Amino acid sequence: MNKLNFYSYLFLIISTIMLLYGLIFNPNDWIVYTIAIIFIPLFILSLGFITMAKPKKEDEEERVQEPFIGF
Amino acid sequence: MIQKWFSRDIMYLMADIVVNVLIAFLFGSILLGLHRKVMARIQLRPGPPIIQHFLHSLKFFFKETSFPKTAAMPFYVAIVVILCAIWVTAVIVGPVSQGSLLIIFGVYALYKIVEHNSGSSSGSPYGKMSCVRAVFSAAAELPLFAVIAIVYLKTGTMNIAEIIAYQSVHGALIFSVPLATIVFFVLILSKSPYSPFAITKGKDLVSGYETEHFGFLRGFLMLSESMSWYVILWVFLTIFLAPLSLVGYLVGMIVITAITAIINAVTPIFNPNHSIMTQISIAIVGIGGSLLLMLIA
Repeated sequence: MNKLNFYSYLFLIISTIMLLYGLIFNPNDWIVYTIAIIFIPLFILSLGFITMAKPKKEDEEERVQEPFIGF
Repeated sequence: MIQKWFSRDIMYLMADIVVNVLIAFLFGSILLGLHRKVMARIQLRPGPPIIQHFLHSLKFFFKETSFPKTAAMPFYVAIVVILCAIWVTAVIVGPVSQGSLLIIFGVYALYKIVEHNSGSSSGSPYGKMSCVRAVFSAAAELPLFAVIAIVYLKTGTMNIAEIIAYQSVHGALIFSVPLATIVFFVLILSKSPYSPFAITKGKDLVSGYETEHFGFLRGFLMLSESMSWYVILWVFLTIFLAPLSLVGYLVGMIVITAITAIINAVTPIFNPNHSIMTQISIAIVGIGGSLLLMLIA
């Protein structure tokens, strides 16, 4: 498992735990707001990193080349 | 109102937020799909299915994603997260807690910063041009502040719950401050897709500040945009037409989406100077007229 996948799963687990904490234990409002604002986007981001298709090894370099370098 | 149906007595605050965020995404994306459909029909095209925007948002999460060499990492990715965070905040301040309108204004100010930074972090000249236009078009956010000021002068509060209570006693604000309503509607128009005022996403810039955000990052952006469309319509209906039932919100959102689609389908995009000047002119006439009407009445 590469570094990106490792951190994606880590953040997905952390954000899931935080959202479940808010759902089950119903802490103070300000804590719930903070959890929602930080961890809902983080949950979607980490999910995206896991679900996205990665380029093939031989195509990797070609994919990150910007056609506009030098402007 | 949605939170009445998902009352705090039945579910915890976090569940209320999650449910409202999901509704904002689902309903917002369906409305944006309807927007494209109406535009297509006006232009005598069959157009995509109404659920296309929703399907695209999900589909992009499984597409090949890579990060351009010229992108300013990690800002290039972080800006997409920030965009989602500000619209989650807007959902909390609006439908969930009915808090202060000033925070909604703050959200729109941040949205401009996100447009700016999303364009500049990509390293693409299209994104950079869009980022410059985002700064330029920030002037068009001033009418929102002016509308909030008019609403405050009329109702004596900036709290959304209290504005709803005021309207249930004195009648909807659309009848007492109609010009401010028009100014806010122009703001909605400027935020709609293919708008004549949408200079940051003009087709001369490909997709503007979103040009270099592809793959799942584009899906993430589309998800946030769906929430943003839902929130701006919710705020408009709540400030000017409250109190509304769930059906009232549903019909109101569909009607406004259809009206903006019709306008956008028959209007070409303005150049940046004309876009800003038109919006500012409408705002000055609307706000000046509203103040005058309030003095006379």
